[in-house]
Amino acid sequence: MNALAALPLATATPGWHDLVGLLPEVIVAGGFLALMLLDLVVPPARRTWLAVFSGAVLVGALAVSVWGWYDAGSAGRSVFFGAFAYDRLAEFGNCVILVTSLLTVVISPGYLDRRRLHHGEYYSLVMAATVGMMLLAGATSLMVIFLAIELLSISLYILSGFSRQEERSQEAAVKYLLLGSFASAFLLFGMALVYGETGHTQLAQIAEAMSRSLPVDPLLVGGIILMFVGLAFKVSAAPFHAWTPDVYQGAPTSVTTFMSVATKVAAFIVIIRLFDDAFASYYSHWSAVVITVAILSMVVGNFAALTQNSIKRMLAYSGIAQAGYILIGVAVGVGTALGVQGALYYLAAYAFTNLGAFAVVTVMSGRGEDLDRYDQLRGLWHRRPYVAAALAFFLLSLAGFPFTAGFMGKFLVFAAAIQAHNVALALWGIGTSAVSVFYYLRVTLIMFQRPKEDAPAYEWPRTGRAGSAVLLVTAAGTLVLGIFVGLVLTVATMAQAGTLPGR
Amino acid sequence: MTVVVAAAEVVLVAIVVHGVATTSAVGGGPLPMHYVEQANWIPAIGASYHVGVDGVSAWILALNAGVFLLGALVVPRLTTERIKLFCGLMLLAEAATTGVLISLDLLLFYLFWEGMLIPLYFLLAFYGNENRGRATLKFVIYTVAGSLLMLLAILYLHFQALAGGHNTFDLEVLLQSPLPAQAGVALPFTTIQTLSPAMFAFLAFALAFAIKLPIVPFHTWLPDLYESAPTPTLVFFAGVVSKMGAYGFIRFGITLFSGPVHQLQPLLVALAILSILYGAMMALSQTDLKRIVAYASISHLGFIALGIFSLNQNGIDGAVIQILNHGIIIAGLFLVVGVVEARTGTRDIRELGGLQKRMPWLYVFFLVITLGALGLPGTNGFVGEVTIMLGAFQYFWLPAVLAGLGVLIASWYMLRMHQGMMHGPVRAVTEKVQDLRFREGLVLAPLAVLIILLGVYPHPVGSVAAQAVPGYVRLADTSQQPVVMPTSAHIATLTEVER
Repeated sequence: MNALAALPLATATPGWHDLVGLLPEVIVAGGFLALMLLDLVVPPARRTWLAVFSGAVLVGALAVSVWGWYDAGSAGRSVFFGAFAYDRLAEFGNCVILVTSLLTVVISPGYLDRRRLHHGEYYSLVMAATVGMMLLAGATSLMVIFLAIELLSISLYILSGFSRQEERSQEAAVKYLLLGSFASAFLLFGMALVYGETGHTQLAQIAEAMSRSLPVDPLLVGGIILMFVGLAFKVSAAPFHAWTPDVYQGAPTSVTTFMSVATKVAAFIVIIRLFDDAFASYYSHWSAVVITVAILSMVVGNFAALTQNSIKRMLAYSGIAQAGYILIGVAVGVGTALGVQGALYYLAAYAFTNLGAFAVVTVMSGRGEDLDRYDQLRGLWHRRPYVAAALAFFLLSLAGFPFTAGFMGKFLVFAAAIQAHNVALALWGIGTSAVSVFYYLRVTLIMFQRPKEDAPAYEWPRTGRAGSAVLLVTAAGTLVLGIFVGLVLTVATMAQAGTLPGR
Repeated sequence: MTVVVAAAEVVLVAIVVHGVATTSAVGGGPLPMHYVEQANWIPAIGASYHVGVDGVSAWILALNAGVFLLGALVVPRLTTERIKLFCGLMLLAEAATTGVLISLDLLLFYLFWEGMLIPLYFLLAFYGNENRGRATLKFVIYTVAGSLLMLLAILYLHFQALAGGHNTFDLEVLLQSPLPAQAGVALPFTTIQTLSPAMFAFLAFALAFAIKLPIVPFHTWLPDLYESAPTPTLVFFAGVVSKMGAYGFIRFGITLFSGPVHQLQPLLVALAILSILYGAMMALSQTDLKRIVAYASISHLGFIALGIFSLNQNGIDGAVIQILNHGIIIAGLFLVVGVVEARTGTRDIRELGGLQKRMPWLYVFFLVITLGALGLPGTNGFVGEVTIMLGAFQYFWLPAVLAGLGVLIASWYMLRMHQGMMHGPVRAVTEKVQDLRFREGLVLAPLAVLIILLGVYPHPVGSVAAQAVPGYVRLADTSQQPVVMPTSAHIATLTEVER
């Protein structure tokens, strides 16, 4: 009995039926190809058209994803012989990723113009990364997972080094590439072990083989943990976070905006699919690792953020800490449905909040160097009151104050931890949250100080219509997710309920 | 505009208070409520929008509305820049404190409790002297740390109820499902038999409330903050926000956790006494007017805590009355300090003197407020403190005696402050000061009138409180709780402890 014979449909050909499940990805991939051609004919002064075109493609894909949410139904179905899931979890991920990309594309032209980085490839690369992320959100085969991760990573490596004149940007790209390849190798090695022990690449069959291999197969445990290491790198969880501050700081801010949110969403969706679903029968063997990484991320992220003087680095460490909070939901997600629901809610909340925070930095970055040091924010409130208020709101949400999305996200994952009788995990989360209040509020205090000698510390550009729109949307999203909780929680519950392969 | 909104709020609250006083409460639960509203909010986890008012919260609501109106009235005189923003934030803060006072759903309560910090943070961070940044951060981090632990305890209560078949955060339901007597760890050298999960949950709630109140030793944020904040902020911060801790203890602390409260009662009473005496001694040794009032406030809040922890009708009655009284008195004190500082440019008691001759109207109002603060019979301070001491005496004679000592020191530091400012020769800084303007008098006069009125005729407050308090006392009384059979594991632990 070889492995191929175990595939029931190995001889069949994929049909339209299968392609429907990939429709949003196909649309964005088509947009990616079209953009490369368009770049050749659009005059350099009119590159904003490329942004408009990408935006239109993303909106189209978003609409199809929303339609797919209903079409896939509560059970979902597996397409391409179990390589890809057409279920609500995937569509949920698609929607969040597409909204993130869309908002990134909207703020990019102004920023790129100011920084003299407005090249056509930018949009193609963003689209390519988006395809990779969407594939990752739906992947149910080890091969697709790996390909999707490579697609998104390679696009992001290039985007990180997009500012070719700037040494820091180049350094960020190289660092990201080297450490990212290292992480990919871990992931691949883990996949090899899992494949070697189960004989399958499809998650459904791996899960089945896994439950038969009980009580325990040590090589399988090793494979699972190595895969987690590779993915933990992508979500920048400690201790695999070392690249994060440097890359976030060095990359052009609009790129940071995009990758700090979308990558994390995609990687977390696949983590949830793998660990809370496919690998659920090995829960007792991997849970300790996930819990340790969650605690380390919360502690390292929050404490390292305390001493930063650069807003991008601070947000990078904050992102590490947020990954820790989401991992709480993942770590207890096998025992309680609330864990995965909370993690999904947190992802949506994090997408709006963190995107908003980075969008402020992007929109306020003028010619010359990026807005980065804390003292460049001094007096922002007096010159750009709405932008400063928006940033303050996002920071309050990241800190987890009520009436913001961040609070409900934290609340739900802590609730899940307590429901799973892991009070210690919730206590770690709560303790580190209290620490985090300090550094978030410190930034707001600086914004509200008076500028020295009436000369602002930094030439903030005009916000512009596109920038205002993005800030408005993200702020509204943060507020809605903080108050009308039932709405998204229902969506998260439905996404969690129909997860493929299904345990 | 703000004054109009705040005044409208006062009128609405007056209607509510009148309604509470004249109608009978609805609901067969352990705490009957008035004006109950209930609607679904997050059905998936059983959180609902459930609000209501009872005799305990009615007068605190009135205080809330009144003090914010006062704050709105003094804003234009005592803050100079960005008044619109100040007013907006102030109304947000009022919305949050009102939410805290009416919430009957624990998650909703927590949302308002923590949400209160956002407008307060900006008010404290934007306005005030140059030390405000540090003081504000200290305050926010203290309170956030405390209330996050409370969130954990709220979740614990929720999942306990869930295990009993109720998917809810509703206070009324939680009150009817007693916490299980779970086994815990023995605490050495104390009378506390076990450190059960219920005990931890109570400690988490108590920490959040004790920080907000504050009870010594969780008070260290208070003097710095009060020193750096401007007067309008102080009026409602000291007047209302600090009362939220006391209110929390009454509404949630002693009702949900009667067992742990009784076990810890000696400790809690001791901390309340410590607050009274420590605050009084510190007030005696300060020379800065704001710091004197700040420490006096700690001492007075200790009285409120003492009343609550007496866990009997008199004590809690007195605490409710004193919450109202203290709000009036402390608002008056800070207003007087604000006016004096604005006129003379100093808060140092050693540089002031002779204001009696220059500001006769201020002298009159300040005299009434001082007498209220030191609890002279005929003022409202006396009514509250005596009721609390009655309650404390019913618990044990020693706390009442020590609290009496606190009253004694109070008259010392209040008169020292009064004399330092008002009597003696006219100094350089008080040479050319103007007396109160009409508008300032308009703000201080109702406070002075209320101090005397409530001192002579406290019946309206007392009677409204008295109709609700028995419910709380009953809930806090362990002997009337449904008996929970200890589990076998519990018995095993107990026997092990005895060995």
